[in-house]
Amino acid sequence: MRLPSSWLLGVAFMFSLASHASGAASPSNAANVDDELIQQGEYLARAADCSACHRPPEESGQPFAGGYVIASPMGDIIASNITPSREYGIGDYSEAQFKRALTEGIRADGAHLYPAMPYTAYSGLTDDDIHALYSYFMHGVEAVDEPTPETSLPFPFNLRVSMAAWNFLFLDDAYTHDPEQSDTLNRGRYLVDTLGHCSACHTPRNALMGENNDRYLAGANVGGWYAPNITSDASGIGNWSVEELVQYLRTGHVENQAQAGGGMAEAIEHSLRYLSDEDLHSMAVYLKQVPPTATGPAIDVSQAPREVEPVSPATLEPLRNDDPQAMSDGKRTDGQTLYNGACASCHQIDGQGTDDQFYPSLIHNTATQGPNADNLIMSVLQGVHREIDDYTVAMPAFGEQLNDEQIAAVSNYVLSQFGNPELDVDAARVTELRQGGPTPLLVKAMPWLMAAGVIFALFVLGLIVFLIRRKRR
Amino acid sequence: MATQFDADVIVIGSGALGNNAAFELAQQGKSVIILEAGEHVPRWKIVENFRTSSRKGNFNDPYPNAPWAPTSYQENYIENTGDFDLFPGMLKLVGGTTWHWAAATWRYIPNDMKLKTLYGVGRDWPIEYDELEPYYVCAEKALGVSGSDTDDQSGQGGDAWPPRSEPYPVSPEGDTYYFQRIRDRISAEDYRFIHEPNARTHKPWDGRPACSGNNNCMPVCPIGAMYSGDVHARHAENAGAKLITDATAYHLEKGDNGKIAAVHYRSSNGDDTRLTAKYFIVAAHGLETPKLLLLSEVANSSDQVGRNLMDHTGMGLQFLADEPVWPGRGPVQQGGIFNWRDGDFRREHSAIKHALTNMVPNTAVTQRLLDNLIVGPELDDRIRHDAARWVDISTVFEMLPHAHNTVRPSTRYKDALGIPMLTVNYSVDNYVKAAADVAKRDYANFVRIMGGQVIEDDTGWQNRDHLMGTVIMGDRAEDSVVNGECRTWDHDNLFLATTGVIPASGVINPTLAGVALSIRIADIIAKEI
Repeated sequence: MRLPSSWLLGVAFMFSLASHASGAASPSNAANVDDELIQQGEYLARAADCSACHRPPEESGQPFAGGYVIASPMGDIIASNITPSREYGIGDYSEAQFKRALTEGIRADGAHLYPAMPYTAYSGLTDDDIHALYSYFMHGVEAVDEPTPETSLPFPFNLRVSMAAWNFLFLDDAYTHDPEQSDTLNRGRYLVDTLGHCSACHTPRNALMGENNDRYLAGANVGGWYAPNITSDASGIGNWSVEELVQYLRTGHVENQAQAGGGMAEAIEHSLRYLSDEDLHSMAVYLKQVPPTATGPAIDVSQAPREVEPVSPATLEPLRNDDPQAMSDGKRTDGQTLYNGACASCHQIDGQGTDDQFYPSLIHNTATQGPNADNLIMSVLQGVHREIDDYTVAMPAFGEQLNDEQIAAVSNYVLSQFGNPELDVDAARVTELRQGGPTPLLVKAMPWLMAAGVIFALFVLGLIVFLIRRKRR
Repeated sequence: MATQFDADVIVIGSGALGNNAAFELAQQGKSVIILEAGEHVPRWKIVENFRTSSRKGNFNDPYPNAPWAPTSYQENYIENTGDFDLFPGMLKLVGGTTWHWAAATWRYIPNDMKLKTLYGVGRDWPIEYDELEPYYVCAEKALGVSGSDTDDQSGQGGDAWPPRSEPYPVSPEGDTYYFQRIRDRISAEDYRFIHEPNARTHKPWDGRPACSGNNNCMPVCPIGAMYSGDVHARHAENAGAKLITDATAYHLEKGDNGKIAAVHYRSSNGDDTRLTAKYFIVAAHGLETPKLLLLSEVANSSDQVGRNLMDHTGMGLQFLADEPVWPGRGPVQQGGIFNWRDGDFRREHSAIKHALTNMVPNTAVTQRLLDNLIVGPELDDRIRHDAARWVDISTVFEMLPHAHNTVRPSTRYKDALGIPMLTVNYSVDNYVKAAADVAKRDYANFVRIMGGQVIEDDTGWQNRDHLMGTVIMGDRAEDSVVNGECRTWDHDNLFLATTGVIPASGVINPTLAGVALSIRIADIIAKEI
């Protein structure tokens, strides 16, 4: 399953916007809304990556119709319809209600949204931008009069009212313009923090799944993928130039450096590639000055060796055993054999990729030189898919062709030959990532918390019974 | 009391045709078992088998050839008794022989299917093009076919043909320099070049990456860009079908009311298993399917099972052009010359397709030079020179069905399971020989136009591995094995998913038609269960 970029998978709950809006408000007359405002709203909706979640299950479906099913540790989440359909979408929302949903996480009927809807980020939206977004969604989006199934998470995550307490803890101060800083930095921060909600993936979560602000943008696990440290530390993007960052945000591909996969590929495909050069530049400039948080040794893939020791082909690929059973044996766990059969056709036997880097180098690559091997493993498991303006990147998924031990073996071969030899992958990690990554503590602890709750309730009940009996005496 | 079955439908054979039928049925909620004689082998393993062997030119070589599941190159697998030695490349593993094809996915044109009516030779199909057309669309989507929506594939230089209800799923890939140069020069003399629709698409499709021109479709696409039948084995399994490997079907058991009651299969350790189902689909290749029917003595009241064997028996031309044309870059084939695909001449001689082969020629070039005792620095120079100018044309002819062209269970040879292997009796008729003269005149023109130096223009008949006719389709139970639904006349619940049903061969690679017919079989069965 593909994961939308802004989706805080493995981290959070899911947004389920009201399908029953309160009927008081009505959208203004389309004829009075100027096209420029709608276009501005469309651009903002791109920057905020709304379509990442609020998409239909099939690619051919209508934009923002919802219905896309997202697997989360809390259960399946169904993206809601945010087209201006009065019955099934947000057609009856007033602008004030729209703003409240975006910035406070409260839908028109007063119910709380789950914070998978990044309202903690959107809380910083300017009123002008909310107006443009509202104009776009009311007049620039075609209404889809089709319901989406209700999201029904298991107890206790189905209690939306608990979000009030969560918001008290984690709905922080919103973005405000800082006159001390340049326009570029202000714009960059607004794009990174508010519209792009980058921290939703790149900032780790605490035990209650709020963002841990002490480790702002310092890297986190998202549905198995590792959203890396993007602070200015050398273990983050400290060794990237602004130009490289801009190119990466636009294409997901910086030669001999990094390629985007998973949720980042989706963020680029659906959102970032549509942003203006100026906006991407602002984001890069802002990221380059985010206070550094170290997450390990410096990463500088340009320092990786250019040449690989030549090896005799006879050593790399000894002549075949013609026994039919040996020729059918797809269970080998020899990393070199697996690499040569499954990977070398594209990444080449020496790991350098093709001359044009259409098939990228595994040597000068953050997926193999980073602080952990999660993105290498996930690329093998799920492949890489990234649609850019004039071409589509499609590394096939090997999750069905290779078992967890084999993926661990081939990953270790890649790491030892081409990547960070300090890293070691075991099959258990592959199993865990195959299942969507580590389970958040809150979900893991829930049976215990619920048991504790039951014991507490029994205690209270016992106390009441005791008191009543004593009173009767 | 309701009868218990092991499955709604049992599909015998996990090639492209069987798996597509199995997937459709499983997707529609039917319980499906697929039986496969060979094993499941992941692509990386086949690529390894290819890379670590010196026999690169043998397209069966990277695939397991087990005594209990032999490929067609196993000694005595086919004993030929006719004028021509028929030795198609055929594999036994999950995915079948589309592991090594070039993924040409043409449609028949309406006239191909009315050969007898229009030209008085051969047989007609019992169904019209229009009935098959919607299933061609399904098949093209299943395989991810890229093709031209504007070419007149009948080769007559008219408007887009045959008719399509939907455009090709993917646009055509760019032309290789090789294709461009030869087309530009030869088409000046009114030879009409047509782009070949293909399932090695240049855009990602259904989890497959884009073709990047490894030029290794045969024996194996190293990256899985080219469609192969294992794709739909996986889809069928994910949709709930059960795939049993190491399971060679050797007997179809007749039940009451003319139905097939069960299939018996044998595994490599000699164990026999009997499975029952409401419906059976035999999708076991154009040679093995009739063998299974004959061994089981089913479906043969017409005496047509194993008869009417047709390949697109062909011939070839190789020459060195007077300029570098750089063969071997990009896809192994992109189309060819279609002037002789259709026309009134089909009363007199068979239709002809000249396909441009674009495989890396270095091995053939070098072998020829060594045979001529060229060595040392001159060898290097000549390899470079000749490999850049090598032009290879692969011609195929339309065959007619003849009762005397047969495939039968062997009475002399058995495989390791004790199941008879094959005896083939095959010869080429005058209808084809007359076309060969026409083709040779074309060859002379091609060589002249390209300023060529002939390397080989008299190859004799060649295998093309397109097996048809052996369980022929027709509209009369007396002279055909299956009806227009691919349902056997003799057994209501027995369908045959194989290009062996095709009664009029045309000149185009028949796999896409086979997949379309298979999806149609699944639709017909799904409505009846």
